[in-house]
Amino acid sequence: MPESEILQGTLDLLILKSLALDKMHGMGISRRIFQITNGAFEVKAGSLFPALHRLEQAGWLSSVWGESETRRRSKFYQLTRTGRSRLQSESQRWERISLAMASALRAT
Amino acid sequence: MLHAFFRNLFHKKQTEKELDDELAAYLAETTSENVRRGMTPERAAAQARRDLGGMEQVKEKVRDVRAGVSLEIFLQDVRYAIRSLCKNLSFAAIAILTLALGIGANTTIFSVVNGVLLKPLPYPNPGRLVTLWESHPAYGPFLTVAPANFYDWRAQSTSFEMMAALDPYPDFILTGTGEPRRLAGGAVTADFFPLLGVHMALGRGFQATEDHAVVLSYATWEKYFGARTGIVGRQVRLNDAGYTVVGVLPRDFYLVCKASDFQARTRFDIWTNLGLTAPPEAWQRGYHPLYTFGRLKPAVKLAQAQAGLDRVADNLRRQYPDDNKDKGIVAVPLEKHAVANVRIALFTLLAAVVMVLLIACANIANLLLTRAAARRKEMALRAALGASRRRLAQQLLTESAVLALLGTALGLALALWSVPALVRRLPADLPRISEISVDGRVLAFTILITLVTGFLFGLVPLIQSRGASLNARGVSCGQSRLRSALIVGQVSLALVLLAGAGLMTKSLRALLQVSPGFRTAHILTARFSLPPRYANGYKFGTATHREISAFQRELGRRARNIPGVQSLGFTSYLPLAGTNNDWSFFIEGRPPKPPGVFDATNYRPVTAGYFETIGIPIERGRSFEARDDEDHPLVVIVNEAMAHKFWPGEDPVGKRLKFGDETWRTIVGIVGDVHHHGLGIAPEPEMYVPWGQVPNVEVRPIIVVRSPLDPAGLTGALRKAAAEVDPEVPMDQVATMEQLVSGSVGESRFRSTAISLFAVLALFVASIGLYGTMSYLVSQRTREFGIRMAVGATRGAVLRQVLRQGAKLAAIGVVIGLAAAALFGRLIASLLYQVKPLDAPTLAGVSILLAAVALLASYIPARRAANADPMDSLRYE
Repeated sequence: MPESEILQGTLDLLILKSLALDKMHGMGISRRIFQITNGAFEVKAGSLFPALHRLEQAGWLSSVWGESETRRRSKFYQLTRTGRSRLQSESQRWERISLAMASALRAT
Repeated sequence: MLHAFFRNLFHKKQTEKELDDELAAYLAETTSENVRRGMTPERAAAQARRDLGGMEQVKEKVRDVRAGVSLEIFLQDVRYAIRSLCKNLSFAAIAILTLALGIGANTTIFSVVNGVLLKPLPYPNPGRLVTLWESHPAYGPFLTVAPANFYDWRAQSTSFEMMAALDPYPDFILTGTGEPRRLAGGAVTADFFPLLGVHMALGRGFQATEDHAVVLSYATWEKYFGARTGIVGRQVRLNDAGYTVVGVLPRDFYLVCKASDFQARTRFDIWTNLGLTAPPEAWQRGYHPLYTFGRLKPAVKLAQAQAGLDRVADNLRRQYPDDNKDKGIVAVPLEKHAVANVRIALFTLLAAVVMVLLIACANIANLLLTRAAARRKEMALRAALGASRRRLAQQLLTESAVLALLGTALGLALALWSVPALVRRLPADLPRISEISVDGRVLAFTILITLVTGFLFGLVPLIQSRGASLNARGVSCGQSRLRSALIVGQVSLALVLLAGAGLMTKSLRALLQVSPGFRTAHILTARFSLPPRYANGYKFGTATHREISAFQRELGRRARNIPGVQSLGFTSYLPLAGTNNDWSFFIEGRPPKPPGVFDATNYRPVTAGYFETIGIPIERGRSFEARDDEDHPLVVIVNEAMAHKFWPGEDPVGKRLKFGDETWRTIVGIVGDVHHHGLGIAPEPEMYVPWGQVPNVEVRPIIVVRSPLDPAGLTGALRKAAAEVDPEVPMDQVATMEQLVSGSVGESRFRSTAISLFAVLALFVASIGLYGTMSYLVSQRTREFGIRMAVGATRGAVLRQVLRQGAKLAAIGVVIGLAAAALFGRLIASLLYQVKPLDAPTLAGVSILLAAVALLASYIPARRAANADPMDSLRYE
């Protein structure tokens, strides 16, 4: 799916979800989103980094500098407590919406 | 979040670098992944860059997001703050009004302190300007200067770029421009204006040896010469002589001086050249009319200059042992000299108004606490929903900031209105009044106090919000302690202010109860200025100025015929009017004194009728009579202080004394003492001489008229009478004796009124605070009271318990306040007249007042608690 079609709320939720297990750097997050959406979303740097910084400033993500698997100094993002509860509430909301959408579309 | 915000603001470079690093790392990761997928390194890198989609664009987007988010969150907080303040309008209104009053009052008082004390003097390089004085171990450190001494100082000292002298007393009668006008003149050496760095608005200053040249003040130029630019070079008639106008001073020029300098003269209408270019005659070392000024050379310290002056003084003592025995020279920075007397008073007022602001802050903090308690559930809910503590704190701070900002805006508006109103009411003898305004420095002060107050009361809910996750009981316990501390602080500050106000008011009352030694009711005074021809060419010597007494006799005769005039007399130095003169004398039969030592005392030329009119009692002997004139034996009357000082245990009536080398004059009476220099200043020895027998020239007779009629009605008749005697004699300085007395305590009255106003404000605000806190504490314990009453406690017991709690807080506040008041009292001791800083009745009185108000403030909530239905209380919550 072309990236322009990713809704902003969707991208935020995807980023939060991708960080649910462990902290990751930008490239890792992008790769992880690609994986967990079965290749449906490929997030480019131009959308990814602004989103990461926005989420960081909103207090949902925090960042630390560390060493990547290729031994490069990279910025790692992780969920904050707020971010984690946000992920939870957003996932529930999204599930409700998608269920509702699915049933609406199935209706004849 | 806050952290990120400030990092954005202050560490832009750091943020930029981190972004660079982050993107570079991303690029590298992508490249190496592409390589792992089998691309050549070059293709891999190119592909990675293509994927990134332009380094700069990405960075720009990130920057936009960061800025946008900060701003958005900030705006969101502001909107939220305004919304939540609107939801509780009465709270917002009280908080903003309290703040506005506090900040407005502070800004106003600070603008006075700034104009009078802090602003640099209105001359270039004001730090280098000093005033120079003669000093004497017996007569004091700030004596005016003999022309001959000044001449030598100027010639011998090396630390000064310039030195100039001012004789502030020459007066001029301006004729030829309508009604004759008396102008206050100053005679200055040619260096005077260059020393102050003044550039003339028109023309130039004086040249060293120029005679009969005159410089006009801007106001004189406008008022009497129609602000015509052709004035320079023109002739004007002053004292019946022609003077050439050489220059006009700029509009904003004025000589910064202390009220007590120049005998109450605060403005100069006209300036003439004092000369002093050739060594003065010897007699000019024994006569001391000059005020002298110096401009230090750049980089010369005051101490260096003083050391140099000490050497000059040493030379002069050796060279002129007669006149300069024990005489020193003192240099005082001009900026210090001018405000020496008002410094403490103004800083006291500033301290008082800051205390009011602190009390107001405590109240707002209290209000915020109450609000925070009410919003505890809201906050807890928001925290549960994932709001970080930082985010909540930021919101609370934004709310405080919005309050502070609105309060400041209103306070500033208040100050802009009140500063000019205050300036009109300031005592006229306060120096530098014209420089008081709301300027940049005042605005900076306002911003500073806004930040500090906003921080102070914004902090309190923050401290409280730290406990947000604690259980309800823990929070309320911590809150109670914080609130109690605030109340104790308010009560103690209020006590300090009340004590200060009490002391000053008592001092003012003591001052006003001083009997001045003369009658103040129904007395009108006015000054006449006789042109020089009356004075026989300024010839000194007894009985040489017959025309002056002839003028008085004739004016007196006509004025006595004015309906309503009961009696009248003339004097040349009215009590409490700020003017004075003294004269040296010898007492018959006493051993001669060594050279340079002589008896001198205050000297008052008066006419027959003066004592009777103004009500100075004749204690012994007789009063002056019409026959004490030029053609009769010389007489003098002394006051009691002079009798005690110079004839202790003797009766001076019938004894003789003389001035200089004239003939002996007989003491014919003793009169009561008067407070000449101020109600708070002890009466001094004085001698009275009949006007026809004065040894000097006294051309400024002041008429003193006693009449039960409205003084304003008399003024016109008096002016008419004077014009009939001589149309060229101006009359001015019309005042009732009551006005003079009131004016003489103006500074004291202003101080005491201002601080009393602040104290009442403080009491009011603090009692509201106490009331609020007690209400809150009672509401917290409603359940407890309910249970108590349910198990049998009487209403009285509950009432007493609440009252006891309020009384305890008030008592602690009073004790701390008393200790602080003792310190404060010591600071203001010099402002008090006949009241000790630890005046027990005052301190006890204000403590009782404060305690009573505190009890009243706790009584209302206490009664509410006691009257509550126990069942309601138990159901509560």
